[in-house]
Amino acid sequence: MKFFDHYHLPMTVNEALELLAQYDGRARVVAGGTDLLVDAQAEYYAGERPHYDALVDVTRIAGANQIHKQDGACPEQSEWIVIGCGVTHTQIVESRLIRKRATALAEACAVIGGPQVRNVATLCGNIAHALPAADGTVALMAMDAEVEVSSYQLSVVSNQSSVVSNQSSVVSNQSSVVSNQWYALSTLFKGPGKSAVDSTRELITAIRFRPLGAGEGSAFARVMRPQGVALPILGMAVRVETRDRRLEHVAISAGPVAPIPFRAKRTEGFLRGKILDDTVLQQAAQILVNEAQPRTSAHRATKEYRFELLPTLLKQTLRAAMERAVV
Amino acid sequence: MPMLNMSVNGKPVAVEIESNEYLASVLRYRLGLTGTKIGCDEAECGACTVLVNGMSVDSCIYPALKAQGASVLTIEGLAGTWTDGREDDRVGAVARPRPELGDHAAGDHEGAPLHPLQSQFIQQGAVQCGFCTPGVLMQSKDLLDHNPNPTDEDIKVALKDTFCRCGCYVSIMNAIKSAAKEIQGREGREGREGNEGIPNLPKTKTPLNVIGKPLPRQDAVAKVTGAAKYTDDYAFPEMLWGATLRAKYPHAKILNIETSKAQALPGVHAVLTHADVPGSKNHGLIFNDWPVLCYDKVRYQGDAVALVAADTREIAQRALDLISVEYAELPVVDDPVDALNPETIIVNDGAGHGNLLKHIHVEKGDVEKGFAEADVIVENEYHSPFYEHAFLEPECSIGRVLENGRIEVIVGSQIPYEDRRQIAAALDVPEAQVRVRGALIGGGFGGKEDIAAQIHVALLAKATGRPVKMLYSRHESLLFHPKRHATIIRVKTGAKRDGTLIASQATIYGDSGAYASLGDKVMTRAATHAAGPYNIPNVKIDCYAMYTNNPPAGAFRGFGVTQSCFAVESNMDELAPKLNIDPFELRRKNALTIGRTTSTGQIVRESAGLLECIRLVELEVRSWKLEVGKDAPSNIQHPTSKLGVSRRLSKTPDSAAARRTRARQRSKCLKMERLKCVRARRKSDRACRRF
Repeated sequence: MKFFDHYHLPMTVNEALELLAQYDGRARVVAGGTDLLVDAQAEYYAGERPHYDALVDVTRIAGANQIHKQDGACPEQSEWIVIGCGVTHTQIVESRLIRKRATALAEACAVIGGPQVRNVATLCGNIAHALPAADGTVALMAMDAEVEVSSYQLSVVSNQSSVVSNQSSVVSNQSSVVSNQWYALSTLFKGPGKSAVDSTRELITAIRFRPLGAGEGSAFARVMRPQGVALPILGMAVRVETRDRRLEHVAISAGPVAPIPFRAKRTEGFLRGKILDDTVLQQAAQILVNEAQPRTSAHRATKEYRFELLPTLLKQTLRAAMERAVV
Repeated sequence: MPMLNMSVNGKPVAVEIESNEYLASVLRYRLGLTGTKIGCDEAECGACTVLVNGMSVDSCIYPALKAQGASVLTIEGLAGTWTDGREDDRVGAVARPRPELGDHAAGDHEGAPLHPLQSQFIQQGAVQCGFCTPGVLMQSKDLLDHNPNPTDEDIKVALKDTFCRCGCYVSIMNAIKSAAKEIQGREGREGREGNEGIPNLPKTKTPLNVIGKPLPRQDAVAKVTGAAKYTDDYAFPEMLWGATLRAKYPHAKILNIETSKAQALPGVHAVLTHADVPGSKNHGLIFNDWPVLCYDKVRYQGDAVALVAADTREIAQRALDLISVEYAELPVVDDPVDALNPETIIVNDGAGHGNLLKHIHVEKGDVEKGFAEADVIVENEYHSPFYEHAFLEPECSIGRVLENGRIEVIVGSQIPYEDRRQIAAALDVPEAQVRVRGALIGGGFGGKEDIAAQIHVALLAKATGRPVKMLYSRHESLLFHPKRHATIIRVKTGAKRDGTLIASQATIYGDSGAYASLGDKVMTRAATHAAGPYNIPNVKIDCYAMYTNNPPAGAFRGFGVTQSCFAVESNMDELAPKLNIDPFELRRKNALTIGRTTSTGQIVRESAGLLECIRLVELEVRSWKLEVGKDAPSNIQHPTSKLGVSRRLSKTPDSAAARRTRARQRSKCLKMERLKCVRARRKSDRACRRF
């Protein structure tokens, strides 16, 4: 079963956007393809006949396969880690920079699929797929990641207010305007498997987030069927900033507990300023259970089981992140 | 068509391909490098693993053009990486003549040095059906390249998505560790001593001239080098691809089949329906109840309704979409107990008693009297689901008409002679006109005993005059082939206060699905074993093998005994605490030993190793250390884990032939399997992973 007619490997963002424009909605961006191509097959067997005139592979765009540290545009944020759209999960897991300064992300990327999939699948593809349970997405949510979307038109992504910074425009050789805009990751999800990014017309070119500094730590943990290679039953990522063992800032994300990736804002608010002990943890867990809304999924777990796991994972990730922050 | 330029096993390759091809298909079908296998075609099983620029990838979903300019290493080039810059002619499989049929075991590596991974896989007995072996080897190569000294945990993580369905994981881990040592120790050494390929096996007590001596596995070298040929690895000039239209509903009348549009599609050479079956419209191993192509109605969703032969697999698939079948839906029977209800619609009357395929009755003594004498009675109902064999090689058949007019079918089948009989009957030709050639089997486990595409490729080859290959996708394979019987088993066990079993009664409903397959025999085994391997004076067993609209159920390792065993032994574990007797002691006390009589009236005269088996299992179970609770196996304190024991005794009619079989299988005949722990998957994942 073939789902596409042509396969393109553009070397620049412009070239990629031009190709997408030429196909006018009938082509689609692909990176590793480990979700897209397998899903297309599943759709085929379900009786659908998915078809794209072309796939536009963005992994060979110059610089796309790099992870680098960059000075931020905003003065209050001194640096960013930027991950290009061709960067694979294996690259992330093996990157010393990520392991040290975005530990949760390295932990999340290490458990996605098996080695053959991680060697090909990209983190940008993971977020483009927009699954609330995606491990990489869960970790990036806790890192307050931002996503760069390149397109020919301005403000294709619906929510203008979500544009955070760094708007730049270049003129392509076809005199179309290429816009590169950074959006908060959390604004890019419309529902399970539904991204605000239109993969037939625009592409995610990079992800960035603030690296962990002194007094900060992060952790990711998940529960899944023992031999599973698919999505987790529940995943959770935590990022903490501490001062004298006191929690200055906490970010908690979990999935799947809502139709889109989820940040536990009330739990975070409760934990801010607290010193972590058993009582605080217990209270936080209760708040988390109240604000999360997992549901029963046919193949993975019941909602009751997921509720039961929330406190366990919270304890696990918070403790691990704290340990790393204090060291 | 675009040109794909890459280096394969160190040699530059330029090949014209379709833009939408995947790397695995380019390697296999365009370059003839058939060592790379396709098991699932969706990045789950790892059989297609190759290295692209030194990184392992699932080549089945790796768009071929993604490899533009890349360096690709396949199983055929693995040995070459070990012999260092040496001019290696093995990579030139492109130019190598296609292997002759029948030489699939020989390989072309005689005498050539193997990579340590390859030789250690042979040495450690990690090569079984061999279908997963290339993928496992390539993933292991990736592992050792990045981590020369892996721990057990590292290996498990690396092989997470690389399956071996024969279950050689322990041997595979040993092989990888030994290879790692060999690679590290080798630096600077010239070549290696010849590897005789004899696995390290325990010595037998008295080796004879021939028997009792470990010998190299005949096909092991071919299997570790990618030279081993499974059905899909054969290709013939002018070969067409076949495809099967499956039923749209689990139960429906066929009113009309319209094929003209499919026939008109360019590239289509034949479209066949039941009207094109010249001979027997049905096939079957025991009952002739399974349509070659459905004519009156469809009985499950794996049913074949029409066939297409076309120039490519894609065209054949497209043609299927153009066949329109008019159905009238019928009520669906999905439960074997329902099926027995006289008011239920008849799914299949293959055995002549409606939905009842077979009622098997076993009786010994007087079970009513037995229960009346019992001090403790435990009665429970157990349900077991369908199991899928999940052999890594999906079904594949090739049919062709030989020059002398005979039909040849190449297939990795568990019963080629039965295939021949059924093909000949459907084609209405004498059996001598049909030749079935066995290719290697990439795992069967009972799931390749029934007719899959054997008859279909023969029909298509006859219709087109050209060789025709049918390769099932994993999806189609799962949909089509018979499974392990789902069962509902009600077991009542009665014992005296001292633990002596006095009566046992069982009622078994086996879901044999739409067709008989071997359901009759499998359920007979389930029934004859439903009292367990115990000496019980009063036994009554009733087993109903039923037709339903579920997938057919047939042979699967254990052949019906696993289900009974699960039920009987679970009951024994329930019984033990009620009698306040240790579960091992309870079993020992009632074990069948020489001189005792089975529930079918067979007097055990030899080969009764149950007590020894219980002893060994007990030794092992008592050595387990559980984090929570103590005193295994009476440990019931653990919140999520319990210990139980299960065993299997193979009972056969006491004929001379059976005795010979038993003698041959002495070591296998009485086997205890342990059910390590029955655990609820409720609490924490960590608790589960401990086991």
